[in-house]
Amino acid sequence: MPVPILKQGEVLIASIQAALTDKDLVELRDELARQVGAYRSRGVIIDVAALDVLDSFATRTLRAIVYIAKLRGASTVVVGIQPDVAFAMVQLGLNLEGVVTALDLEEGLDHLAALAGRSGGRAG
Amino acid sequence: MSDPVLTGASQVLLREMGLNDGAIERRKRIVGIEPADVTRIGTIRDVVVPNVEQYTEVFFNHLAALDEARPLLSSRALADHARQLKKEHLIGLASGDYGAKYVEQRLQLGLVYAKAGLDTRVFLGAFHHVLKSIGVNVMKRFERAPLEGFESFMSLKKVAFFDIGLIVDVLVFERERTIRQQQEAIRELSTPVLQIRDRMLLLPIIGIIDTHRARLITESLLNAIRASRARVVVMDVTGVATIDSKVANHIMQTVAAARLMGAAVIVTGLSSEVAQSLVALGIELSKLTTVGDLQGGLEEAERILGYRVTQTTGGPAPALGAS
Repeated sequence: MPVPILKQGEVLIASIQAALTDKDLVELRDELARQVGAYRSRGVIIDVAALDVLDSFATRTLRAIVYIAKLRGASTVVVGIQPDVAFAMVQLGLNLEGVVTALDLEEGLDHLAALAGRSGGRAG
Repeated sequence: MSDPVLTGASQVLLREMGLNDGAIERRKRIVGIEPADVTRIGTIRDVVVPNVEQYTEVFFNHLAALDEARPLLSSRALADHARQLKKEHLIGLASGDYGAKYVEQRLQLGLVYAKAGLDTRVFLGAFHHVLKSIGVNVMKRFERAPLEGFESFMSLKKVAFFDIGLIVDVLVFERERTIRQQQEAIRELSTPVLQIRDRMLLLPIIGIIDTHRARLITESLLNAIRASRARVVVMDVTGVATIDSKVANHIMQTVAAARLMGAAVIVTGLSSEVAQSLVALGIELSKLTTVGDLQGGLEEAERILGYRVTQTTGGPAPALGAS
């Protein structure tokens, strides 16, 4: 099942709804890389709140998305990692280094707004 | 016959001590009980069973001479109960069937000793006397074939050692129960996650951090981060006396997990000794945001969240209790 990508102003929001196969993840990566350029987006938010597990392939792909988007001129925030998922990830040594994370979609948008130097930014 | 409360307790104990059929078989193998032993014990059963009263007397007479056994004998009910269980024990000893039911009876006896505060050495002394008098009777019976008698007695002794193993374990297990309960209480009491301001949490850590506790701390912190939508967490480790590489690793994991949920963690209260030992151990803490003390950590957290605390003019307000 492909992940829907919503365009909201200068931000692309990829909202993952169900467990993903490795193929879905690769498609998401490619599609985001394409759309960041196509829409001249400044920010990308990947919402993983619906996921019960983030394995090494998923974390690696997320990191790849972050770097690809950065090379294309957009900042990425991964939002909605659940407590159990976060705990399991650090146990496995998957710390998502170099990736900005936020509690939920709202926080992620706040962060991007602060980065863009707009109003309402409080993030540190 | 036996106390229903105690029967329940011994069944619970059987589970708590993990004495399933496999563990019981393993214990038998450790002392070396084999089918041949059961056969040999059969040949001396009529030396043991008809004289159970006598052996029980030997056991309790020995105890009666000892000051250390007074707690058991001073309570009439407890002493009678122990006497009854001891009799059952001696009959069971010669029965040849040493399964879960037999083990459970031994646990009951162990529980009575534990309740009376009977020390291992006291019980061992009395039990040795019982074995001695059984041994004497066995040797009398096998006067013409002493080797055969000795072998039968040694088979019985294997079972006796099997029993000693169980009873000593019960005594130790019961004594350690208090320690376990206290540890549990400390664990539950000492992992509070406190909200200091909107979107700001305080996690004071006190005492010893082991793997189990680190897990509890991390879990309660992560749930609190979600519940209060926290953005900054101040983790204060003033109350942690020593930090070794393992504890440092636990702290790093907690910080990493909090970050995955979008919360920044500020660690405060690393004492000079702790800081020195961490550096001496070469533990990589460069990814950690640290501030010297709790006050500094709270101020830093407020700065991150955009708070500015100012004192009102006119100095401190009157204390609440003042009239």
